[in-house]
Amino acid sequence: MHEPAHDPDVLLLARGLRKVYHDPERGEVVAVHGLDLACRRGEVYGLLGPNGAGKTTSLRMLSTILAPSSGRAWLDGVDVTEDPLEARRRLGFLSTSTGLYPRLTGRETLRYFGELHGMAGAALEARIEELVAAFDLGAFVDGRTEGFSTGQKQKISIARAVLHRPPVLILDEPTTGLDILASSAMIAFIEGARDQGACVLFSTHIMSEAERLCDRLGVLYRGRLLAEGTHDELRARTGAAYLDGVFLALVREADREARA
Amino acid sequence: MPPSPPHRAPGLWRATWQVARKELRSSFRDRQTAIYSVVLPICLYPALFWLMIQGAMLVQGRREHTMVRVGVAHAPGIEVPAGLVDALVAPPRAADEAGGEDAPAEPAPAEPQAVELERVEVALLGVFPDAESAWGEWTARADEDRDALLYLAEDAQGASASVLAYDSSQGRSSLARRRVQPRVEAFAHALRVELARARGADPRSLEPLRVEERNLAPDEEMGAYVLSMLLPLLLVVMAVMGAFFPAVDLTAGERERGTLETTMILPVPRLAVHQGKIVAVCVSALVATSLNLLALGLSAGHLLEMISAGAALEIELPLLAFAAIAPLALLFAFSVSAVLTGIAALAKTFKEGQALLGPVQLVFLVPAMAAAMPGLELTPVTAFVPVVNVVLAFRSILRGEVLPLEYTLTALSLCGYALLAIAFAVRVLSRESLSVAAETIPLRSLVRYLRSERGAR
Repeated sequence: MHEPAHDPDVLLLARGLRKVYHDPERGEVVAVHGLDLACRRGEVYGLLGPNGAGKTTSLRMLSTILAPSSGRAWLDGVDVTEDPLEARRRLGFLSTSTGLYPRLTGRETLRYFGELHGMAGAALEARIEELVAAFDLGAFVDGRTEGFSTGQKQKISIARAVLHRPPVLILDEPTTGLDILASSAMIAFIEGARDQGACVLFSTHIMSEAERLCDRLGVLYRGRLLAEGTHDELRARTGAAYLDGVFLALVREADREARA
Repeated sequence: MPPSPPHRAPGLWRATWQVARKELRSSFRDRQTAIYSVVLPICLYPALFWLMIQGAMLVQGRREHTMVRVGVAHAPGIEVPAGLVDALVAPPRAADEAGGEDAPAEPAPAEPQAVELERVEVALLGVFPDAESAWGEWTARADEDRDALLYLAEDAQGASASVLAYDSSQGRSSLARRRVQPRVEAFAHALRVELARARGADPRSLEPLRVEERNLAPDEEMGAYVLSMLLPLLLVVMAVMGAFFPAVDLTAGERERGTLETTMILPVPRLAVHQGKIVAVCVSALVATSLNLLALGLSAGHLLEMISAGAALEIELPLLAFAAIAPLALLFAFSVSAVLTGIAALAKTFKEGQALLGPVQLVFLVPAMAAAMPGLELTPVTAFVPVVNVVLAFRSILRGEVLPLEYTLTALSLCGYALLAIAFAVRVLSRESLSVAAETIPLRSLVRYLRSERGAR
């Protein structure tokens, strides 16, 4: 099902996404309160927030890992609740941990995902070789991933996420735990994906990274999107010169409102 | 990047198989799974066979070299017959033990090796009023082992009322009984023959009724019987063992390794992922069971010969029996795999998964052991009792019994249980809380968990 008045350039759209967990001890816990956001083709959208803000839950709902309690979301025009399978086919997802199957080799991992995406034979092998060359995987792609360094795992994960050329990329704290070299490679990858027209949504709590990469930003705090816009729009709203200041100003304002 | 993927994704069953294939590849690369599903079934029987032979040789050797001490006492007025002590000391010949007609009047000449190996030392204790007082006196001697006592007495009519006293709670004493009893019987038989000859009578007239045990079961039927008692239980045990580690590895192990999110974004229906895992666990169980059967087939003859105390057995698993057992084993393996997968999925770590499955294994093993006891038969009623039905059906098939109604009912009930088990496992795996639960979900919360929110399709 397509969202009403579908804009073909909006590849990721969320409207009123809400997630409630049922905790046996605490009762109902609202992790995300009505999230609205949109990300366009060739745009990098950064979701900023401290730990526990609801970033991962939001990304999990958008990537069909969790079902929203209410609200709707669309990936490339496909409703993630109505047709999660089709939505997954249009998505490249990277979790905080690389999430690689440790007993498979890098090549087996890529082949497995390729086959499940309906790729086969020479076309699949050619695509794998293309990724091996693009991400410089040749030296280790035939080893089991359990023996890889963090950087090598990250490269295989990226290759796995873009194997089927998805129009939407969702990355959950993609640089967490990476050294400077691996971080730089990840940032280069995101910039490259934007240049190729992908819509990239990623979460982070590293302000410098967000400042450098993001075309637009959303600040999530205690499950609520406090503000959304370009750097300039956010700076103008808060009067802060840097993103750190923008973030702190928004969070303090939210805390004041909560106390009041 | 192109705006959307142009590829045609696999359907539900193809995706199920692709997931299962990947899970199997991954699972068999795990050392524990490989050991329990492949190495153990292959090595179990040869190892067991070798151990039993070694053990039997050891026990037999120790037994033969063990000397036992037997006291001989007698009631007042009774004399120890001449030659008795020599007969006790010397091992009887096979014919004597069998009580053959040509049994010699005198004890067999002691062959050096036989005397050396199965020695009996005899002590004459003298006169005692009864066997109990003689036993008390004999066993009270602390200087050396006292194993058995032969007390010679007569009843009021003058018939022999002799007693061979021993202590069955002592291994040596039981050994003494087994060694002395045939020698006493052989000596008594020799006495009867001698007496009859002295009176000019036919020795056979002193023994008008003589009973000899003879097992007329053909070797192949005996083999089928022993196999039918042993194999069904082993099939159940191996199916459970074969499914155990893959079930934990593909569920709790996946959560522990942090690959659950990756699996959940696979571009296939979640049902295919769940089914793929169950199929992979089931294939592991079947591999373990098949290898077990193969290893058993290769070493069964020797092994069962040992188990059945040296009886010559012909072990043969007819093709027809295999054909009948295979579909039942497949359905049973699906039930076991689905239940174990469903339960193991509740665990957060591999270790906790093992702990959860420990008691669950018993759900299969206890009824299987109960059904393996002689006496229970496959009937239209027992065909519906879970686990028991499969053991009884295997047993009937191996015995060559033709029970079409019972086999059909067993197959139908196994089908039903397998579907129920798969539905249970899919329900567990499809709950959303599985991906967000921070801890292992305890078994006591299973019902509440099953009622919780379902995740995305």
